[in-house]
Amino acid sequence: MRPVAVTGLGVVSPLGNDAGTFFAALVAGRSGVRRIALRFPERMVTRIAAPVDFDAPSHFPAPRLRMLDRVSQFALVAARQALEQSRGALDGLDPGRAGAFVGTGMGGAQTTDDGYYTLYGERSDRVKPFSVLMAMNNAPAAWIGMDHGLQGPNLTYSTACSSSTVAIGEAARRVAAGEVDVMIAGGAEAPLTFGTLKAWEALKTLAAEDPRDPAASCKPFAADRSGLVLGEGAAMLVLEDLARARARNATILARLVGYGLATDASHVTRPSVDGQARAMRLALEDAGLDVDAIGYINAHGTGTPANDPVETAAIRQVFGARAGATPVSSTKSMHAHLLGAAGALELVAAILAAREGVLPPTMNLAVPDPECDLDYVPNVARRVEGLAAVMSNSFAFGGTNAVLVACRD
Amino acid sequence: MNTFERLRALLARDFDLAPEALQPEATLENLEIDSLRMIEILFCVEDEFKIVVPAEHAELKERLHTLGDLAAYIDGLVQALPKAPA
Repeated sequence: MRPVAVTGLGVVSPLGNDAGTFFAALVAGRSGVRRIALRFPERMVTRIAAPVDFDAPSHFPAPRLRMLDRVSQFALVAARQALEQSRGALDGLDPGRAGAFVGTGMGGAQTTDDGYYTLYGERSDRVKPFSVLMAMNNAPAAWIGMDHGLQGPNLTYSTACSSSTVAIGEAARRVAAGEVDVMIAGGAEAPLTFGTLKAWEALKTLAAEDPRDPAASCKPFAADRSGLVLGEGAAMLVLEDLARARARNATILARLVGYGLATDASHVTRPSVDGQARAMRLALEDAGLDVDAIGYINAHGTGTPANDPVETAAIRQVFGARAGATPVSSTKSMHAHLLGAAGALELVAAILAAREGVLPPTMNLAVPDPECDLDYVPNVARRVEGLAAVMSNSFAFGGTNAVLVACRD
Repeated sequence: MNTFERLRALLARDFDLAPEALQPEATLENLEIDSLRMIEILFCVEDEFKIVVPAEHAELKERLHTLGDLAAYIDGLVQALPKAPA
């Protein structure tokens, strides 16, 4: 298998629309969670989310924009950034040797919501002519492929909250196997519609608004955590055959060295310690690394009552005596849960942590939970020396657990 | 404004087409209006002229080659609308 390099990062997030701004906000402990107004605000119980400040017309001409759901807009902008940073990953490449894998949980949710509103709310049959093209789940990946002429594999992965981690892991395997030389891989999600929020509300998994500070409502690993906060955005990586990246003198931002995939096959929402632990072990085996090589774990850390103690126990099971000494943080406390895009965004956070030697904190962790007893880098970023390898966890409804391990070059 | 002028204003405003290129004899092909874009244009035309485009797309493709053809087609549909009582 060929080693895989990361040569570009693109980010559209609740904490800023490029990777550098995003990471600086994480280190500063800034939150992107705030009150939002959607259709029928008076019917919303949950009024908080983490939206992206995004000026779509500055990125796309109007006729193009009318073909792109918000999820595809995010994906395209993030992919463009990642390719720019790679400084010519596609130059001189046979277009059939490059592709795009994107993870998304809910696809073109805004288009679906708008279409149903037209039909059922306005009782009109004037559904927009491009609704199908905008709502289809593979639209973000397809547009990336078209924009950059990528004629190799173009796939969309939908495994709920691990979608983009799966997309990146599967893309890395294609590069490693020599089927392709360059992949754009990541995730995109734009679920902040009235319909989607009501559906999540009904599942009783959303965080209650913090009465003193709405921005502090997501409290992973804290005793007073009450659920997840929905966010939106996209993160894309350029993955490239390491030898090729070196030959063209690209900046190697990281090497992607491990990917683990394991399924709970037990309960649709309740996470399993064993399932999560198996995914972490498989990723470590794939990387050929021992647990003490891992200097930081970006946790799935949703802030739900169910996830956080289970993830803690899974980390304890895998890391054993090293568990207490391995820093773990949930950046979802700041950027919230981007569902299908979460894993990609969090891998970017982990890669930049390794590059900068700074661990982003778990914010809003004031009241410890005895069942969550790891080092969560509470509330303040931490500078560390010699951080070599990092892990990023993504666990999903449906039970698809995916874990990635990246190394500094 | 006559039908052609209204159509031209709509295309310039919503479809990023240069007004000077929007002449009656300009072909849809030269304006890079493909079948997909045409579906959207007809959707907007329905709103603008308060008409319903009944024809199947294949039939339209036979009939409409230039902007002038499209304006004449729209005109026909507008004429066929029931007259508002005076």
